[in-house]
Amino acid sequence: MLSKVTVLCFAASYGVALALELTRLLFRSGVRGAVMLGFTAAGLVAHTAFLFYQGVRFNEQLHGIGSPLSSTQHWYLTAAWVLAVVYLLLTFSYPKVQFGLFFLPLVLGLIGVAHHFADPEPAARAPDARIWGLIHGGSILLATVSVLVGLAAGLMYLGQARRLKHKLPPQRGLRLPSLEWLQETNRRSLVVAMATLAVGIVSGMILNVIHHDRDKGFVPWTDPVIVVTVGLFGWLLLSSVLGLVYQPAREGRKVAYFTVVSFAFLVAALAVGLFMDTQHGGQRQNRAWRGDRPRPAATPADSQPGATRPGPSVPGGAS
Amino acid sequence: MNLRVIGCSHHNTPIALRERLAFSPEQTRRALVQFRQQFPDAEAVLLSTCNRVELYAAAENGDGPTRGDLVTFLADRHGLDACAVDKHLDEQSSDAAVRHLFTVASSLDSMVVGEPQILSQVKQAYQIATEEQSAGPVLHAAFQAALKTARRVAFETTIHQRRVSVPSVAVADFAQQIFERFDDKRTLVIGAGEMAEETLRYLRDQGAREVTVVNRSPERAEELARRWEGRAVPWSDLLAALSAADLVISTTGAEEPIVTLAAFQTVEAARGRRPLFVLDLAVPRDFDPAIGDRPEVYLYSVDDLRQACQRNRAERDKELPSALRIIEQETARFMGDLHHRATAPVIRRLQQGWQKPKEDELRRLFNKLPQLDDHARNEIRESFDRLVNKLLHPPLESLRDEARHGIPHALLDALSKLFQLKD
Repeated sequence: MLSKVTVLCFAASYGVALALELTRLLFRSGVRGAVMLGFTAAGLVAHTAFLFYQGVRFNEQLHGIGSPLSSTQHWYLTAAWVLAVVYLLLTFSYPKVQFGLFFLPLVLGLIGVAHHFADPEPAARAPDARIWGLIHGGSILLATVSVLVGLAAGLMYLGQARRLKHKLPPQRGLRLPSLEWLQETNRRSLVVAMATLAVGIVSGMILNVIHHDRDKGFVPWTDPVIVVTVGLFGWLLLSSVLGLVYQPAREGRKVAYFTVVSFAFLVAALAVGLFMDTQHGGQRQNRAWRGDRPRPAATPADSQPGATRPGPSVPGGAS
Repeated sequence: MNLRVIGCSHHNTPIALRERLAFSPEQTRRALVQFRQQFPDAEAVLLSTCNRVELYAAAENGDGPTRGDLVTFLADRHGLDACAVDKHLDEQSSDAAVRHLFTVASSLDSMVVGEPQILSQVKQAYQIATEEQSAGPVLHAAFQAALKTARRVAFETTIHQRRVSVPSVAVADFAQQIFERFDDKRTLVIGAGEMAEETLRYLRDQGAREVTVVNRSPERAEELARRWEGRAVPWSDLLAALSAADLVISTTGAEEPIVTLAAFQTVEAARGRRPLFVLDLAVPRDFDPAIGDRPEVYLYSVDDLRQACQRNRAERDKELPSALRIIEQETARFMGDLHHRATAPVIRRLQQGWQKPKEDELRRLFNKLPQLDDHARNEIRESFDRLVNKLLHPPLESLRDEARHGIPHALLDALSKLFQLKD
């Protein structure tokens, strides 16, 4: 039953929810809110089932040593799942605010990247590296979601601030949170992204040291994924420190711009991981499969005992 | 069955007379008790607000109190001459009365269309009538339908969201979009004015607590601060107060700006880039308009707010037909239900009239077929029930259809004669 759930199932549910959200700009409806939440919740259930089934399949495929976030595709889809949960929680808390216009495109974007560009094959890790791999992938994932939440809040802030500066009344069907709430969300997302990215980088360094000792799976410190990720961390650190010590950097609009620039760094880091020659996540060995798209998902038979697959190509450290 | 409303409102009655006819909640209770004593077969709900006094009366059986009865009743409660009052009172009955009630509850008949208070006032009037047991089946149904209609109008249109007064637009459309909460914000009132006071009332409703008053006259500042439970500061401390404020309402009569750009820039550093909402309600303006270009400053003049009010009014006018359509739909539905209720005795007799022959036939059949077990008997009984229901369905459906346009007296007579229905 779970094996029948496909990416299309939950992507379509989120897509319908987004379409319904867009219709708020056009007309009012008494039942739309409930239908929209219903589609998002249904998408989230299918999404959860898909991730769970993939996790179980990875474990079987790698003979009990698979773990969550074992493949790049799984990592992207999990990030989309976390973002969808954040959106649902916000919509429950603030039912009149159109969070969907900003969050659902990001959720769909992550799913699209996962489906079209990310490697679906799971990676095996040595037992002592598995826990560090999990911390590394998980913390980078949380940093990614934080940056995306910050981007959504930043865009909402800029739109809301522009309307208020121009003294325009609220646009029909488009209700946004207050500037105070958005600014606080922006600031927190920057801090959370910086903290989780720091954990991701440190755990990545530990993984690299483990791999270096074994002379296998080591990623050069100058690998483009590592460079861009450290660049993103530097930017987040700079934004947070500036906010503390330099008054103009505390302006809501500037904090919103910081989150937008953070997003640009994030896109660069993810793009480097997906499209450039990098040894991060063993992408160099794995490059060939993308040329053969569409490629069917691996079956347990594809995996031989003891075989290792490249780890997820997420920015920030070695796998 | 009859439903009637008699009363006066801001539309056509001078405030002097409305004040004389008004009822406090306690007076309303007493009046309803007296109404019940005077008209034991009738129902009543008394709605009294600063803009209207309306007595809704109904009788499930018969015509209920006449206009003259109701006018006299209202006038007597205040010791007024009924003949003198009569010409100022409007009367509506039947579907017009229902439509009026729905329109009032939906705030479409209010002085400021869309203002939310009227709905709670209608609820309170209905609650008092319920507690005093003066509301009967007709008015229970009417007021519950009115509350439902008001909710539909609020939910399906944006009429209630479109504020049209300067203070409400300032707070709801702008201040609430800047600040998430007001209980931790500092409000500075510069000068004094009616609009500042009204705006402050809106801010208080949103939780604003800390108020500072600055006025050229220290006595006046003290008086205002006492009234608004705030604190007064000397005029010379204006810039210091400004550096601490989150919201500013300014309404002085000064002929030159009292806060220039240069003066404001001196307090910017002390403000620490906190957002500042400035409501400059003075004419000429108290704040240099260039201050509005500074980061984190949201400056609104009275003209800006009036423009926003006009835009809202235009938007609200566009929504009016939708709201009126909802009221028409709900009025038609309510009147259909009301008329259908009048057909209930005939329907009951019709159903009872068919039950007896059915039971007789079943008894005869079961006597002739004693070998039938309980299961077979139940099957046969259910089959007879279905047959009776199917035979009764067309006349009952016709009655329901006809009831949409009024009590179907002719059809009820015809059914009574055809099926020999007797009381």
